[in-house]
Amino acid sequence: MATHIIMDHSGDTRHHFDVRDEKALADAERRFKALTGAGFTAATRQANGEISLARSFDPNAEETVFYPRLVGG
Amino acid sequence: MLHIANMVRAARARRRARFDDREARGMTLLREWLSPQQLWQLEAYNYFEVTGCDSGTRYRIKHGVSTNVVELDRHGRALMGWCFIPQGNLVAGDVMLAQKIALETDERGALAIAKQFLVPPRPPTFPAPP
Repeated sequence: MATHIIMDHSGDTRHHFDVRDEKALADAERRFKALTGAGFTAATRQANGEISLARSFDPNAEETVFYPRLVGG
Repeated sequence: MLHIANMVRAARARRRARFDDREARGMTLLREWLSPQQLWQLEAYNYFEVTGCDSGTRYRIKHGVSTNVVELDRHGRALMGWCFIPQGNLVAGDVMLAQKIALETDERGALAIAKQFLVPPRPPTFPAPP
């Protein structure tokens, strides 16, 4: 199972999906595009803990976190 | 009158519980994404340090939702504060995680939108005699 974690006012919302399920995968890709199109940044974490930005949807990413656009405080 | 007071107290308790739940969820997510060393720092000191991906500069991210990122010199002393946060009313754990990811993956981009602030000088280790 892969997970999309979206930061929001509730803390976060998690969407789990099976990458072998074509419909779930298509929904996940749509969600990725919608969020990044709305200004969210997507980041994935590798098994060794290294974090990298996700510029495009990666069906092999086990965990992707999305955070809203950064602004100067 | 007592009945109304009890209702107000109950409403406040429910609001507090919701806030605590949000805070806890944010801190859980942050802990999941920290390195073992960063997690150790957070538990011990209520802050953790990250290395900027572009400059190699060290930053300290303190528990908080604003003015909580401090650039460190090579001795670990605070040099300058950088304020940048994700939009929206996010809890501390989420804010800190977004700051960590930004500095570790797009340091220049984060600092380009950040506002600088002065950090108070550290007090001397040994107070001057009167």
